[in-house]
This record gives sequence, C-alpha cells and structure tokens, in this order.
Amino acid sequence: MSIGILGYGVYIPRYRINRAEYIKAWGQFAAAGVEEKAVLGFDEDSITMSVEASRNALNHAEVDASKLNAVYFASTSSPYAEKLVSSTIAMAVGASPRVSVADFTSSTMAGTSALLMGLDFVASGRGHFALITASDCPYADPGEFIEHPFGAGAAAFVVGEGAPIATIENSDSTTIEALGERFRKYEEKSIETLGIPSYTEAVIMKTVTSSVKALIDKTGRKPSDFNFVVLPQFDGRMPSTIARMNGFEETQFTPSMIVSQVGDAGAASPLIGLAKVLDEAKPGNRVLVASYGAGAGSDAVSINVNEEIMKRKGAVPSVKDYLADKKYIDYIYYLKIKKMI
Amino acid sequence: MAHVSIPSYWKTLPQRYCLIGMKCKNCGTINFPAREICISCKQKSEFEPKKLSGRGKIYSYTIIAAGSAPPEFSEQERLAGSFPVAIVELEEGLRIVAQITDYEEEDLKIEAEVESVFRKLYEEDKIIRYGLKFRPVKKRKPLP
Amino acid sequence: MQKVAIIGVGQTRFGDLIDKKAEELFAEAFLEALNDVDKGIDISEIQEVYIGNSGVGGGQLGNFSSLMTDHLGLTGAAALRIENACASSGFAMRAAVLAVSSGVCDVALAGGEEKMNDTPRKRVRYWLGISGDMEWERLSGMTFAGVFALMAIRHMHEYGTKREHLAMVSVKNHKNGASNPKAHLQRETTLERALASPMVAYPLTLFDCCPISDGASAVIVCRADLAKKYTDTPVYVAGHGASTDRLSVFQREDVTSINSSIVAARQAFKMASVKPEDIDVAEVHDCFTIAEIIAYEDLGFCPKGKGWKLLEEGQTEIGGKIPVNPSGGLKSKGHPVGATGTGQIYEIVNQLRGSVEKKNRQVSGAEIGLTHNTGGSGGTTVVHILKR
Repeated sequence: MSIGILGYGVYIPRYRINRAEYIKAWGQFAAAGVEEKAVLGFDEDSITMSVEASRNALNHAEVDASKLNAVYFASTSSPYAEKLVSSTIAMAVGASPRVSVADFTSSTMAGTSALLMGLDFVASGRGHFALITASDCPYADPGEFIEHPFGAGAAAFVVGEGAPIATIENSDSTTIEALGERFRKYEEKSIETLGIPSYTEAVIMKTVTSSVKALIDKTGRKPSDFNFVVLPQFDGRMPSTIARMNGFEETQFTPSMIVSQVGDAGAASPLIGLAKVLDEAKPGNRVLVASYGAGAGSDAVSINVNEEIMKRKGAVPSVKDYLADKKYIDYIYYLKIKKMI
Repeated sequence: MAHVSIPSYWKTLPQRYCLIGMKCKNCGTINFPAREICISCKQKSEFEPKKLSGRGKIYSYTIIAAGSAPPEFSEQERLAGSFPVAIVELEEGLRIVAQITDYEEEDLKIEAEVESVFRKLYEEDKIIRYGLKFRPVKKRKPLP
Repeated sequence: MQKVAIIGVGQTRFGDLIDKKAEELFAEAFLEALNDVDKGIDISEIQEVYIGNSGVGGGQLGNFSSLMTDHLGLTGAAALRIENACASSGFAMRAAVLAVSSGVCDVALAGGEEKMNDTPRKRVRYWLGISGDMEWERLSGMTFAGVFALMAIRHMHEYGTKREHLAMVSVKNHKNGASNPKAHLQRETTLERALASPMVAYPLTLFDCCPISDGASAVIVCRADLAKKYTDTPVYVAGHGASTDRLSVFQREDVTSINSSIVAARQAFKMASVKPEDIDVAEVHDCFTIAEIIAYEDLGFCPKGKGWKLLEEGQTEIGGKIPVNPSGGLKSKGHPVGATGTGQIYEIVNQLRGSVEKKNRQVSGAEIGLTHNTGGSGGTTVVHILKR
C-alpha cells in the first residue's frame, strides 16, 4: 500500500466571455494570452463548483465518500468569510460526519497548500483518505485592468492509501513578506494591486524560482527531467517568463495551460493545470507543479505518474470535456451576472 | 411572510444535498422526500437510507416567466430572467420537482435525460440555501 | 340527517375594489343574501356562521370570524373562519350544510371574502404561492400557474390537447362574463388575442389565468322542511362531496387529473342519486383554463382525455349539452380566493331559479346544477349538487 493521488476531477462553468466583448466595452483586453474566460452561472459559486469537481474525483478514484477522513477546501472567493465551507462540501459529496475539515484561503497558493496538507494528513496516519478541493472565481471592480483575466474553475483530488495513479516525490516551499502585490482587505469586495509590474515580477521570481530550484536540487534532478511543468498562469505570458527563469521549455508547460480558455482561476489554477496534464500523462512521466500566492509564497511539488493512471482514464469528464462545453455571453450579461450593475 | 424555516430546511439537506431516499423496511418503497408515515403502505415504518443516482428524465416542465417567480427567486429572476422547472422522473421510479439549469430551449421536452447537480437555490437572511437542480445530459460526458 | 335548502344568496361585484374594506365587502354580500330571502328572515335566526378566507395580505388573521360577525350584526352566533385555499368558501358552504344536516342548528350562514388588490404586487406573489407545496414546489421556483402548466404539458402530451383548446375556454368564459354585471372582467376576447398574450408559465398565457380579484359572497341555508317559511323559491342541496389529494403535484400518480375532484364528485352524485349527464348547468373551478378541461373529465362530463372535444363541439357553451361557467368562471368573473366557492353557489342558485340578471346568460329550464371548488392545485375539492 502506498500513499498518493488516487483520483481527480475538475469543473469549469459553461459560460464564456471572449476578448472581443471586452474590447467592445473597454477598447482593450488587459489579459495577455487570454482568448476567453469562464464565468459562473447565476446559481453557481465556489462551493457548487467544488462539489461537482469533488464528485468527479471520488468517482475517478473509486473511493466511497463515506470512507473520507478529511475534507479540505481552498479558495480566495468563498461565499462566506466565516462559516465552514468544507462542511457543506463534505455533506454534499456524502462524507460521514467523522471528518476533519479545514478551509484554506487568503491566496492563490491555497490549492497546493491544501493538497500538500491533505497528503500529510494521510501520511501521518491520522486518516486513510482525504478530499482536497480548490475552487475559485476571483472578483475585482469592472473598471480595473486586474479584473480582465479573472475567470472561474475548480479541481479536486482524492489522496490516500491504495494504488495511487501518481505519487508525490517531494516538495519545497518559499515565503517572503511582500505587500501590495495582489491583495484584498477584509471589508473590500474587490481584489486590488498597486500595479507595479516590475515589483510583481520580482516577488514572483523570488518565491517561485526559489521553490523550484530547491525542489530540483533536493530531488537531484534537472529541469529537463520533467515531462510536464505546471506554472502560475495569471495570464498567458507569465508561464513563459517563469519558465525562462527556471530552465523549462515551452513544450513542458504548454499542456498545462488553461488560462487562455478559462482565465485566472485563482487557487484552483495549479490544480486544474495538474489535472489537464494528468489527463494526458503516461506511466513513468514526471510532473512539476509550482504555485504562487501573493503576500507571498510558492509551493513546488514533484509528482511521479504510475501505471494505475491508465486504469480510469476517461472515466469522468476531462478538462477538455469541460472546455468544450461552452455558451458565450455578452459584456452586459457579464456585468449583470457578476452583480457589477 | 410565509417561508420555509432554516431548521425545516436543515432536515431536508440529506435529500437536497445528496439525494438520500428513505426506503421503507415494510414495503420497500423509496420515500423521497422523507416521511414519518410511508407514502405507499401508510405504516409508521422504519426507513433505511438509499442514495439515488440522480439520473432521470423530464416528466413534465414549464417555464416560469420573468416577473412572476416566488419572492425567494426575485434575485435570480433579476439576474437571469425566466427559468424552467420540471417534474423529473428518476431512474428509481419516483418523481421530484426542481429547476432545470444550464439548458438550451431544445433540451426542454418530455423524456429528455437529465442529471442532478448541486446549485445555489436562493438566499434568505444572508444565508445561502443550496440544493438540487437538474441539468440536461448532453454531448459533454454525463457524470458517472 | 336533515335535508338542507338554500333560501338566500348574495355576492358583491368581483374586481379591483380598492375603496371597500374586507368587512364592508362581506357585509354587502350578506345584506344582499338577507334581502334575497323573499319572505324575510330575522338576523338573530342565524346561529352558525362559516366564512371562507385565505388571509391574503395578512389583514385580520386571528379571530377573523369574530371581526366579521361583529360587522354583520351577528355577534353571538358560533362562527368559524375556514381556509382551504381557493376552496375556502366551498368548504364553508359544506360546513354550513353539515351543521344544519346534523340538527345542531336550523339556519346557518356560509360565505367568503378576500381582498387581494390592496397588497403590493411584489408581496402578493408570496400569498399566491402559499397554497402549493412550499418545501419542494415553491423552493424550486414553482408558481401557482406553474403547477397547472405542468399539468397542461402532460395533458397535451398524453391526450393531444392543444393550446387552442385552452384558449377556447378563455374565449367562452370571457363571452359569458361580458354578460355578467358582477364579473371582474366584462370584455369578450378572441382566440387569436388569447394565444398571443404574454406567457406566464409556459404554455399558460395571461389569458389562461384568472385575475387577482377582491370580492365577497354569502349563502343562507336552512332545514329543508322550514324553507317555504322563508321563500317560495328554495333551492335544495341534493348532494355534496369533498376530498383531498396529495399537496405536491409531483407525488401524484397522474398529473392530468385531480383526484380530489373525482372523489368529491362521485360522492356528491351518489348522495344526490344523479349522474353527470343529468347536470343541466355547472360552475367549475377554472383558476386556469387547463383546470376547466381537466374538470370536465374529473366530473364525468366526458371520458378521460376528451375534454378538448366538448370544447370543439361547443357543448359547454350556454345552449350546449352541459353549459359550464355561465357566470364567466374564475377566468372572467374573477377569483377572490376566499369568496369563489359560495360565489359559484350564488350563480347556480340564480340559474336554477331562472333569476340570472341578463337573459342571454340564463340556461333555460335548468333543474339540476353542480358547483366544483378546488383549493390550490387540487389539495382539497368540494362539490355541491343543487336541485330546484
């Protein structure tokens, strides 16, 4: 019996708004490399997205929800500032009351934090199975450039004991104090940024590069050893910049890119990117996931793909399946549905 | 104002969140929603939980015109206009009523296949009420 | 068990009666009923009072009956407010009949009252939705019209009923209502206009739905053997029946008929020793046009699924085989929820006496009449059969 990822699932809402609609409204679309992005329906939020992604993950893993010992939820856009959201998800997926829950929030690193802690939970012997779900729909005021790339999506992973489809080789993390990069004070609805590009880039490079380098050194590997690399994708350009700084090639990170069709899905992005990669991965592949959360921090995780990955391929809707199911809306409807007017 | 209290709503969460039907130990009928007295054999029975698959077909439907929805749905109406509500006949043979979401006009017909989804129903007193809706099963792979 | 007779009936105009308070409305109907007792009756003879009222708008909800008896000069009588949604006053009538039948009193008053137009439009939607299943139907966004729309869709699917047939009900009832000075809506309409009107709950349009009305009605009943003391033209309650069905439409075996109507009608026919084909005139509960078509079938005026045929053949028009809703029905006469049931009694009594105001609405030679009053989507139904 080993411990690792037993299954995964995603959810992407079907509504899309494209670049042309933004250009009509604002004369430009300040989201490099984003062609269109996902928008929540009126009856959706980060919780409902999580539930569907989680149900997919549990089905994929063939783990009965009643066996879960932990449920972790990660998001920067939970509908509640105070109320256990993982409790809602735990019940909705059919977990028993005997679970340890935690809501991870505050930054777009929350998804990988929750994943790593879920794995620790099982590894420590506190439980056999954990469900980790990251779901996000970042919000900013309609006039601001920062709002342009914000999208929506969710991913879920079931980790535990059994025959994992992928195992975690190792991980490393970095944190530095960084103010004003991407933040939202508790009484505010909208995310803000000081909007100093070189400052942002410097902080991201310091944290992400540090974690990635430490991980690569720790595992004794080279950047080229990784078949797939999942990098922070707040817009379409960022992964290229980070890849260059870390010695990765375009072919390594392109398969994990979702931002061009989904937009920035906050804390869920690294995990949706990982899911997309696992959809294609073969036994023996190695994946590196690097996340970033403003404030600031970065996790880097090295993942090995096992034989078992072939068993349940196609058993649940894939990232590509959700990307293909779409309905376009116009900018006015976008404003209405996001309650911006 | 007439409304469904939170404690009442809370009692129905196993049905609304996870589609738990209550199977009568006396006659085997699945009661969904749950009841004290079995809907079929009318005995004060013992019940055991049985999770429903969430798969079904539209038995009948209507489209509630914008401007006429119950007040719980006036916010939804403001955002999204008119909406369909259907009686869905589940695989297990019993029926339930719920909104249809993520649909196109052509999806609304008797016998159309639908699958259950977990969505926001409405908000009252700043508390979000989640529950059951159905979505047409389409080109995208249905949920297993 | 005593037989029961109706000795006086009264009804206000149904409509948007903003300048009349609830008590004033009911008093008006009551006074008309008192006056209608042609040999006179002393108000103190009324010992039991049953008033149907749904409480729309939340006026006097508690002890409503005490408020009403006070304003009628009937303080001292035993009184009860009855709520069975849209069948409230039909059940009030039943209660009065049962009281007299049981021998507990010789004379009783039944009636109903509702004010619906003095509540802001946004809030009146709350009240319209209280008569259906709250937890599942209402919380799925279902409206009152929506529930009947579900029945219509299924009826159309199983029996080939068309939107045109629904519109025919509307046209017929508007035509009758146009000759009823007490009707809420007194204007004829056409099939085209009805079909083209805005959707309320697909496939039901505005013209498939009854209006939101204010109004009151009253019926004075007494022991049949005492009737001639009060009037030369008593009308007898030959039979009655009442039943319930599951509140939630989705839990019914069949949504194309209303079981409470079928059972209530069967009971009434049995008690009166008559068959559906013996009925000369009927007031049925057409809160929505589909409800009238379903009522034809539930009451046995035609076989199941063939309601549309009666319409195509014009059999339910005045002059047809079985005139239905000569008053204009709920559709055109109006539907002040609490007052509708005894309003139907008012119409049938006048039809049987030959005293309908406008002669073109009078069904000639009517001897046996039927009233059919349903609450909500059929949770409760009461049927009365009246004879000359």
